[in-house]
Amino acid sequence: MGMLPEYRPDQGEWLCGRCKIPLEQGKVPVFYLNSAFDVILPRCPQCGFTLVPKSLAQGKMLEVESLLEEK
Amino acid sequence: MLDQDSLRRYEAQCTQDSPPQCRINCPFSLDCRAFLTNMACGKLAAARAILERHLPLPHIMALICDHPCEQACLRRDFGGAIALHHLEFSCLAQTTSAERLLPIPPKRHKMAVVGAGLAALTAAWDLSRKSYPVTLFVDGEISELLLCQFPNLEEARAWLEEDLKVLLRKVCVEQKTVTREALVTLAQDFAGVFLDASTHPALAPAEAAVDASTWHWQDGICVAGWRSLSPTGHTYSLPSRQAGQGREAALTMERVAGKLSLTAERKKRYGNLHTDCTQVERVQRLEPQTTQWGCALYSQEEARQEASRCLQCQCLICVENCPYLQKYKGYPKVYARQIHNNATIVKGLHTANALINGCALCDQCSRLCPEHFSMAELCLAAREEMVARGQMPPSAHEFALEDMEQAQSPGAFLTWPKPKPGASPPHWLFFPGCQLSASRGEQVLALFAWLEQKLSGSDQAGLALCLACCGQPAHWAGQRKLFEEQLARLRDVWQEYGKPTILTACASCLAALREGLPDLPVRSVWELVDSLELSDLPKEARFPLPKTFSVHDPCAARDDKGWQKAIRSLAQKLGYTLIEPKCTAETTSCCGYGGLVWCAQPETANSLVADRIAQLPGDVLASCVMCRDRFVAQDKACWHILDLLLPHLAVAGTQRGPGLAQRRYQRSQLKARILGQTIRPEGEEVALASDLAETLEEQHILLSDIITALEQIEAKTLWCLNKTNNHRVGAWRPRKVTFWVEYSKTEHGFLVHDAWCHRMLVPGAGGEDAETVIAREQSSSS
Repeated sequence: MGMLPEYRPDQGEWLCGRCKIPLEQGKVPVFYLNSAFDVILPRCPQCGFTLVPKSLAQGKMLEVESLLEEK
Repeated sequence: MLDQDSLRRYEAQCTQDSPPQCRINCPFSLDCRAFLTNMACGKLAAARAILERHLPLPHIMALICDHPCEQACLRRDFGGAIALHHLEFSCLAQTTSAERLLPIPPKRHKMAVVGAGLAALTAAWDLSRKSYPVTLFVDGEISELLLCQFPNLEEARAWLEEDLKVLLRKVCVEQKTVTREALVTLAQDFAGVFLDASTHPALAPAEAAVDASTWHWQDGICVAGWRSLSPTGHTYSLPSRQAGQGREAALTMERVAGKLSLTAERKKRYGNLHTDCTQVERVQRLEPQTTQWGCALYSQEEARQEASRCLQCQCLICVENCPYLQKYKGYPKVYARQIHNNATIVKGLHTANALINGCALCDQCSRLCPEHFSMAELCLAAREEMVARGQMPPSAHEFALEDMEQAQSPGAFLTWPKPKPGASPPHWLFFPGCQLSASRGEQVLALFAWLEQKLSGSDQAGLALCLACCGQPAHWAGQRKLFEEQLARLRDVWQEYGKPTILTACASCLAALREGLPDLPVRSVWELVDSLELSDLPKEARFPLPKTFSVHDPCAARDDKGWQKAIRSLAQKLGYTLIEPKCTAETTSCCGYGGLVWCAQPETANSLVADRIAQLPGDVLASCVMCRDRFVAQDKACWHILDLLLPHLAVAGTQRGPGLAQRRYQRSQLKARILGQTIRPEGEEVALASDLAETLEEQHILLSDIITALEQIEAKTLWCLNKTNNHRVGAWRPRKVTFWVEYSKTEHGFLVHDAWCHRMLVPGAGGEDAETVIAREQSSSS
């Protein structure tokens, strides 16, 4: 797990709206254009709600999307 | 599919790779451009290296060459041809050789060269440099034999001796009087034989008896180097001709020895390099102050000046006028190869996707190119192929296609008034286009009303309105099938109305309909308006309009003379003066909206609009609303032709056009207004933090996306809470995009602080249960 890319919230302390418990860093598989890989993201340990921070969406995630679109 | 044959056809159309005239005319294919570039910046050693690489016996040639290069120089008519001959001489006179020949193992085929004319010495020079063992058969001193033909070398004997010294390092000399019988023996003993016709006229056949493309006479014997005959019957030696023949003959000897075809693939075929000389200024050829051995000698500074006059002939006419073509640092021939490779790649990255989707498909290049190379044609075919193979990046055009879908949706699509059974069919069907309806609804209605009243009672009475999209976005996106579906729908509308003439107010619609529905009568509304009496048009202007405009033709109307003429005529009749920019009418430039570049590559689209703006002095008159809005978005004052026709409803030339979200809303609003309905402005309960609207547009996030996301996020509790600022952040994935909204609840609704989106599917973000998403995706991929 230590080798997986990990992304934390941009700032703040986060609670799941549904379960009212703190989000925890956890492994999530993500998918795009027939590719899948695991990342560590803040997520609710109970319901699985997962937060994609803005910096990730507009940074690394966008970069990987473009790369996969060229494959 | 761009197969090898079509690729070659495309490549042959672009002549940028073709050598310039000076090089074509040089029998040694001297890279004159590179030589002069080095001379112009004082890099004499580098310039010398180029001479030594190309020229046989470089000192001798620099002294006596009759320089056919200069006769072909395009500078000739602008102050005189570049003094290439003098510059070559001056370069060699002011430098010493630093040539280091790499040792090459000797080849097994022995070559015999008979004679000591320029052709023979060139053949010996070339063959010995390629490591063929060469024996030179002469009947006397080489230098003396050469001086017989070129007595002016006497003064420069030092240079003559220098070249011969280099030659004789690798060539064996045998003193021998070669007879016809001896020549036959040589042909048996050597793999190739060369006979110099200038020093052995009695042995050589007539020049006409030998094939001029190979100089092969018979049995492995090549002959060349005949002296030339003047019109008055005198013979003389022409160095470039004789040495050039020697070089060609040497090549034949290699092929004879290697038992290869003497003619196949011998000369690379090039198109004629086009060079635009219209802007070239006259600069007089510089005559040097000193001479040496009867040859002009430039000082280094004089040489620099003279070499700087070189036009550096190249085409690039399309590239110079298009920021997109400049972006990838190449030219169409290179791009055609990259696009072909992109389609044929099996593993690895499709790196030309950006090149293919960055073209505005405006086709300016094909109108500027003397060979009519069309990047638009190439890129559109590539897009269609990518779509067919499922390789089109989803992010490229999806948003634009959603916009098209909205324009075709029941909320915005309208035909009005409905065709009545039994009533006489309308003569015209006004098709303003989805973008004009989205930004100029009020003017569309006013023009419709004016036309209806103007035509009533005439034999051309009857006007209906169709608010729809022509399908051009699908065409540009390479979605041929989707484009045809849109066209089929329009054909149905046209038939329902009894086949009226379609009047378009958008050049892209006009182009799409003409291409996709060629049997339908279609013309621009501007031509009809121009044919009518205009005196009853409202005169009172809502804003003061300028009196003079730079006229900008939309790229989609570059071939539409009727459109262009009508716009100019209308402006003139209404009392305005127009200025024609450099690229106008057929060669007009794109604003960056074409080809969906605005969607696929906003930064390329922005460089296109910025480049166009720089060509247009003062306020601009546009006849396409997207051109107009894109200019104004870059702070260039621009007016639409409707502002001139209907000044009481004019939109100020500095007022920005509606954003993406507002366009969609205004399309629906126009339909509602015509039907006498009212629709609620969207998002009354949603407030955006300041400056957020523009950021959202850039990310292609619409207000409607945010509203729907908020509804779902709240209803299904798809949010988490930031305890430090009490903001909620939630996600909704209505289609292949996940929208994130950061917001707070207010008394009246929501305050949106931020929003972002991504295409990647993240389980647990967007509404669907995380475990369900994971199970589905993993099973579909396995």
